[in-house]
Amino acid sequence: MTAADLAGWPGPVAHLADVEVRRGRRTVLHGIDLEIAAGETVVVLGPNGAGKSTLLQTLGGILPPASGRMGMVGRSATVLQDAGLARRSVRANVELALAWWGVPRRERRARADAALELLRAGHLARRPAGALSGGERRRVHLARGLAVRPELLLLDEPFAGLDPDAHDRLTLDLATALREAGTAVVVVVHERRDAWALADRIGVLLDGRLAALATPDELEVAPPTEEVARFLGFTGEVRLPDGLLLAREIDLALVPPADRRPDDLDARVEQVLRREHGRRVRVAGESCSAWVETTADVAAGEQVVVRIVGGARFPTPTIRT
Amino acid sequence: MRFFLDGLAEAWRIVIGGEPWLWQLVTVTLKVSLISTGAAIVLGLPLALLLGLGRFRGRGALMVVANAGLGLPPVLVGLVFALLMFPEAPLGRFHLLFTLNGVIIAQTALAFPVIVALGAAALREVPAGLLDQARAFHASRFRVAALAVREARTGLLAAIIAAVGSGLSEVGAVVLVGGNIEGLDQTLASAALQRVEAARFADGLAIGIVLLGLILIITALLTIVQAGRGMRRVGWSS
Repeated sequence: MTAADLAGWPGPVAHLADVEVRRGRRTVLHGIDLEIAAGETVVVLGPNGAGKSTLLQTLGGILPPASGRMGMVGRSATVLQDAGLARRSVRANVELALAWWGVPRRERRARADAALELLRAGHLARRPAGALSGGERRRVHLARGLAVRPELLLLDEPFAGLDPDAHDRLTLDLATALREAGTAVVVVVHERRDAWALADRIGVLLDGRLAALATPDELEVAPPTEEVARFLGFTGEVRLPDGLLLAREIDLALVPPADRRPDDLDARVEQVLRREHGRRVRVAGESCSAWVETTADVAAGEQVVVRIVGGARFPTPTIRT
Repeated sequence: MRFFLDGLAEAWRIVIGGEPWLWQLVTVTLKVSLISTGAAIVLGLPLALLLGLGRFRGRGALMVVANAGLGLPPVLVGLVFALLMFPEAPLGRFHLLFTLNGVIIAQTALAFPVIVALGAAALREVPAGLLDQARAFHASRFRVAALAVREARTGLLAAIIAAVGSGLSEVGAVVLVGGNIEGLDQTLASAALQRVEAARFADGLAIGIVLLGLILIITALLTIVQAGRGMRRVGWSS
């Protein structure tokens, strides 16, 4: 069975139910529930040590779960972070991966060339692997994964170590290639913008738990927890104009960005900080408005900063005193 | 200086003259060297793969043993094998003492650590990322090993050159196990030793020069293979 055979497959290509994974005595992944549909790209984000690579190794069959259930249709192939290429031509490197996968010799060249074309690396086919730039090496490395056409393709930080320009170009080309290939993919990335460029759904791993699993739009509008919102960078600080804290209460209304309706918002004011005194002023309420609970020692001319946590990125507060 | 000139002239005369005993010596030398190196490759390469690619407890200690094997005194190896091949000894029933097969076995024991230690060192230089990637694509162990051998071919051929060189020029084990019997198991190196002991210095030097030529030809062939066309064309990548 190949990814193409799975087109229209009603069930998930892979599923994990309440999976726990240990490394030695340490539990790295806790209670992971995850289903990956045919043709879907799931991007996994998380801070260092959250368990992203462990999740990939579990899906790749390298690290078995300590408990829980796991199932998969067909085989998975993992494209590791290190783009290790053999002392051969680019085409021969892709053909080598096909040989590892067990593809008959007569099919290898055509599949290698097709995969290289998919990643806009067809012109490199005859070049020695040792003569490639970092970005080109990464394209060849990824082409190996696409060439074998696994039912589930696992990519571990495919943009690691690339300069910004090569990174941006490869992100766009990989997104296109994955859509054309139609393979179910799980990608671990480090930068949030890569997740938004590639993902059908984004999973956020925090401390070994899948803290969020939703589409980019859903996450942007309503991250499930404050931790997730913070991790995704949906926080902002807005400096209020001087001299507005003479009033005892200030009502801060969060105005959604132009492309959002007010009811899309699930943002809230988290804190009001008084920078000058270095003391935090507690804010009551968790809705779209907040007020300064005490302003006794706040004088005119002092600067006050409002920190916002929420779904819609950096909503602008307006002041209704 | 005169000895060298006489030796060169004698070597030229012997080679041009096509002396049958010379061809006999060359044949025995090549047999001992190539068969023992081949056997050492067959026996030693799996161990080199284990030490070069394996991750297990005790690997470091085994590497120390293998490296120590590079310094094995040939005389000691020859003595131990000769004693083992005595009629009442464990290998006595195979009647190997003072035979070409006995010499080949002793020489294999000398070439074995060369293949293991230098081979393991060459295999350790193969980028781990490449081998891990093969495993991540579910490549069989055989395919991973074949990939490692291919990628480490330059270093592995250096190990083979060292083993062949040792087989061509080694004397101690040949003399002690084989008895240095002319026409049976005498090699070029042990024949040179015999001529020198008989104060036939020009003969000894002539045989030495023939031996040197043989070493040059064989190592040149192996070096050509080592620096093969594919490597120049494709280049190295990590």
